[in-house]
Amino acid sequence: MNDGPLIVQSDKTLLLEIDHEQAQACRRAIAPFAELERSPEHIHTYRLTPLGLWNARAAGHDAEQVIDTLLAFSRYAVPHALLVDVAETMARYGRLRLEKHPVHGLVLASNDRPVLEEVLRAKKIAGMLGNRVDDDTVLVHASERGNLKQALLKLGWPAEDFAGYVDGEAHPISLDESEWHLRDYQRDAAESFWHGGSGVVVLPCGAGKTLVGAAAMAHAQATTLILVTNTVSARQWKDELVRRTSLTEDEIGEYSGAVKEIRPVTIATYQVMTTRRKGVYSHLELLDARDWGLIVYDEVHLLPAPIFRMTANLQARRRIGLTATLVREDGREGDVFSLIGPKRYDAPWKDIEAQGWIAPADCVEVRVTLPTNERIVYATAEPEERYRLASCTHHKIQVVRDLVAQHPGQPTLVIGQYIEQLDELAAALDAPVIKGETPVKERQRLFEAFRTGEVGLLVVSKVANFSIDLPSAEVAIQVSGSFGSRQEEAQRLGRLLRPKSEGKSAHFYTIVSRDTVDADFAQNRQRFLAEQGYAYRIIDAEDLPAGPVS
Amino acid sequence: MRTSVVRALDSLTRLELCVLDALVVSGQTTPAELCTSVQATTAAVKAALERLVDLALVWESTAGLRPLTGVAEGMTGGPDAGVSGLQPRSADPLTPDQVASRLAELSPAARALLEHVLEQGGQATTSAARHTVLPEEAANPAEELLSRRLLVPRGGGSVVLPGEVGLVLRGGRTTTAPVDVPPELSTTPREPALVDRVAAGAAFELVRRLELLLDHWGTHPPSALRSGGLGVRELKAAATFLHVDEPAAALIIETASTAGLLASRADSDGNPVWVPTDVFDGWSTQDLPQRWALVARSWLESPRLPGLVGTRDPAGKPWNALTPELTSRSMPETRLMTLRVLAELPPGQVLASGTGLPSLVARLAWLRPRRPRTRADQAAWAVHEAAALGLTGLGALASYGRLLLAGDDPGDALGVLLPEPVDHVLVQADLTAVAPGPLETGLARKLQLVADVESRGGATVYRFTPQSVRRALDVGWTAAEVHEFLGTVSRTPVPQPLTYLVDDTVRTFGAVRVGQAESFLRSDDETALTELLHHPKVGPLGLRRLAPTVLISDTPIEVLLPRLRELGAAPVVEAADGSVRVTRPDQLRARTPRVRRAAATSAHETARVAAVITAVRAGDRAAASRPAGSASLSPSGSLAALREAIEIGGAVLISYVDNHGSASDRIVDPLSVEGGQLTARDHRSDDVRTFAVHRITSVKPLDVPS
Repeated sequence: MNDGPLIVQSDKTLLLEIDHEQAQACRRAIAPFAELERSPEHIHTYRLTPLGLWNARAAGHDAEQVIDTLLAFSRYAVPHALLVDVAETMARYGRLRLEKHPVHGLVLASNDRPVLEEVLRAKKIAGMLGNRVDDDTVLVHASERGNLKQALLKLGWPAEDFAGYVDGEAHPISLDESEWHLRDYQRDAAESFWHGGSGVVVLPCGAGKTLVGAAAMAHAQATTLILVTNTVSARQWKDELVRRTSLTEDEIGEYSGAVKEIRPVTIATYQVMTTRRKGVYSHLELLDARDWGLIVYDEVHLLPAPIFRMTANLQARRRIGLTATLVREDGREGDVFSLIGPKRYDAPWKDIEAQGWIAPADCVEVRVTLPTNERIVYATAEPEERYRLASCTHHKIQVVRDLVAQHPGQPTLVIGQYIEQLDELAAALDAPVIKGETPVKERQRLFEAFRTGEVGLLVVSKVANFSIDLPSAEVAIQVSGSFGSRQEEAQRLGRLLRPKSEGKSAHFYTIVSRDTVDADFAQNRQRFLAEQGYAYRIIDAEDLPAGPVS
Repeated sequence: MRTSVVRALDSLTRLELCVLDALVVSGQTTPAELCTSVQATTAAVKAALERLVDLALVWESTAGLRPLTGVAEGMTGGPDAGVSGLQPRSADPLTPDQVASRLAELSPAARALLEHVLEQGGQATTSAARHTVLPEEAANPAEELLSRRLLVPRGGGSVVLPGEVGLVLRGGRTTTAPVDVPPELSTTPREPALVDRVAAGAAFELVRRLELLLDHWGTHPPSALRSGGLGVRELKAAATFLHVDEPAAALIIETASTAGLLASRADSDGNPVWVPTDVFDGWSTQDLPQRWALVARSWLESPRLPGLVGTRDPAGKPWNALTPELTSRSMPETRLMTLRVLAELPPGQVLASGTGLPSLVARLAWLRPRRPRTRADQAAWAVHEAAALGLTGLGALASYGRLLLAGDDPGDALGVLLPEPVDHVLVQADLTAVAPGPLETGLARKLQLVADVESRGGATVYRFTPQSVRRALDVGWTAAEVHEFLGTVSRTPVPQPLTYLVDDTVRTFGAVRVGQAESFLRSDDETALTELLHHPKVGPLGLRRLAPTVLISDTPIEVLLPRLRELGAAPVVEAADGSVRVTRPDQLRARTPRVRRAAATSAHETARVAAVITAVRAGDRAAASRPAGSASLSPSGSLAALREAIEIGGAVLISYVDNHGSASDRIVDPLSVEGGQLTARDHRSDDVRTFAVHRITSVKPLDVPS
């Protein structure tokens, strides 16, 4: 019996006992090929998935390394079937290659003729391929490069893309590190992206993904298109780029609902890209407006489906995806892999937190009991109304008040889903509210005021979920959410995780109505928190201490 | 006699068969001579002879060794089975020198013919050749050979090449290559400790999977096929359940059955299902090495062929797991021999990964050349299954496997290799508990009650949910017990959310109570109910107070109502919708009877009456002409009688058994008989009908013409 820290389960999960002395070494060894699924306090669970194994292959690891690692760290015998499966799965990656042929242009090539024959016979692929050049090579229509990769992944024979990239229009960009320095992991992330060609960098919220993007741009030295989730986030990117790089305000354009500027570095929102007029995407020309050398996708896990389709046509350009999580609620991880690229860098939240780059958080779930009359209304309501009823109970307002009172002087965000509830809260707390209809100018003014400490309490709707940098927030109180979305939970917690002065820990409260669907959904989200290693407590609203606590 | 000879021959090695063959060729000889004719060391030949004498296939006469009668006929097969193809020596053999000198005189054509006959097994036929000629008069190659007694006539035109000639032609030997060296096994070095570890891992997995599957089947039994096997879909489901592929699942299922842990029985609907046996209950309480030993032993002795599951039989039908026919008598022997060969490997040597198996098959072919045909497959299965069962690891026998093979108890040797059972889990804030090793059985069962199993393997991951906690409460646990259990079993502090979950589940547990009652009593007047409840005579009514204003009773309402009235209460009955049901005494009434008027006579009715009368008369006639003890006729007898009746054109009385098996006698006028059908006019229905001849039990001609 070996005394390793790892237990390999027959369902392809790997359990890592983190208090074990070899745990760190083991974690580093398995991170390239296993996806971290949950990281609660004692035992972390990793999972072997085909995508994970292919990510590892893309990063240059082979099956033998993977198997040796498993055997070396495993406490018990490793199931034989699993080893065979790992070897077989990994062998599938790269049997097919997309290459640039000196005469014929883009071709699909393989040394393994049976595999080539198999995929050539697949109906979904037939239309993407041209004539056979020789036994091992088939022409590919240049426009189908992305679609073909997508389809091949679905067939289980992911192709390795060696067809290279266009350089794009050169544009000098460099980092201006006079007042700050790129952190080590940010540098590593940018470099592993650049060596890999295209791909995704996974970093937690608050870990400085924007800077990884900026570093990637400095590598590319070319015109760059940045796709972000919304306008506020676009402005933040712009500010950050002006501050941290040699780029000037004039070189950066914003392409959003309000402004349509095309400059060497252009920041566009998903929304404007996916706007359709008469069934046609009206802003597609942006993609061809310049000879972009790099495309940055912010928050890849939110990438809307139409952008995937557009991306399929951009395979000749370098692409970097930035995200806090590869988990997509819609399960399209495979499309991210085939269209943007394999994962190039990953660091678990807790590790970065331990390095002090993000703030530790204290997560508390506060349960309120609905008064009898509301319970009856809830019990007799239509199922689709129930969540709104449960999460918008007036009871929560008092609890929010109590919680706000507990943290006097600490910048606090109250986050909710339903506008009515937010308005009521804003009125009750006498705080400004930011919601979908708030003009961008006003939003920015309020955010700025919050950042400077002028405003200490802000009620926000889900518009603030993404990419809004509010480093000063120390307390977040969420009163309602989009059902059980784990990804939203990650985003909201992310608001708090920007490093705090004096290393103070952040407080994250969720107010939940007991015995309702609200509690059920909350459980889903809490589980996500716990799996990310944030131990949380549950307290009853009645037990909340009155008055300020430290 | 012959069977026992064949069986004895089947158990011989190639060397022993070669020695026996040489003896058959010689007819009667000395050990020394055998040593020269078989390409083997003297010691090897001597040892082989000893075994042959022990088996009584060879006996020592005064004149030398002789083979048992019948051995010569039993020696079949080619050189692989030790058969040289030489004929026995003639009774008065030529000496080798004589043979050599006569061979020298032959013409090239005669020499070629002789070689050809030798290759063809030493027998030939000649039609043209004269058998009695002198060498000088020989007109063709055959006569040349016959005249020199290099071929001997056997009557009927056949000739044989006597053994002594064949021996000289083969250079004095019956064999063409050395036969005393068993084929080498191809091996590679491997650490014995690693072998043991890998094997023990497999052994652990096997027992764990067996237990898991049988536990599951105890509550969700798979249905058995009518042929006795397990359906393909059930096998697939088991494979998915166990996270293994189908061949591996088939092996586990077959092993469970051979170990007597799995059997079929009828479920509550009478359909056959596969369920664990009562042996399983005892087995699952034993410690792991014991459990494994039982399973491994039964596998060794089992004639089953799990390796065939999923393939198709010669008729193209797929073999299902647990099909009764899936056996081979030679399988236990092959398994044992395979493992014995592996046991002979020196420690630190294992079967090479690519070439090991073919070399093992070659070795088995040398050890038992005569049978069976499918040995290559069987040996491959044996090697594969032994690895899956954990008898071998990396292609070598595990140390404890050696003990098992020798008939010793492998328990202790295996026990030290297995992961220690753990007595704790790690409980985490995401409401999971991880057992970092195999849990002690009792603990595992308890934990399975309060938490759902999420992942299995070396470790087990449990998840606590409100449902799983409620399950524990359902079987009588209290909140305190759950807390205490978690506290003792967890090596880490129990996270607050879990404590909260348990308390929260307990809070809602039993909030709604369900019970049975036949009737209820409701009153806004609490005193009235109290009064009723304390009335000395209500005992038998089984009244119980649920709330100040509600009583229930286990007496049906029809009984309760009059009793309550007797007691002086004035109850009203409430309908299901809460409204009061008023009743008053029933006033009895009957329905007015309807008077039927006589129906008008109609032509239709007349016809029916006529038909009935005809039928009755026909029946009367049939009864009258029924033979006293009518002997039933065979179909051919009936046919003859019917044909006769058709010729005469008379009516016959037949006894006919209809589709429903009821017999009747009918009088019919037969019209024709063909294709086993009698067409006849039936007197009773006055209609032409057909009767199946085989249903006619007797035919009797009637004198009365119709």
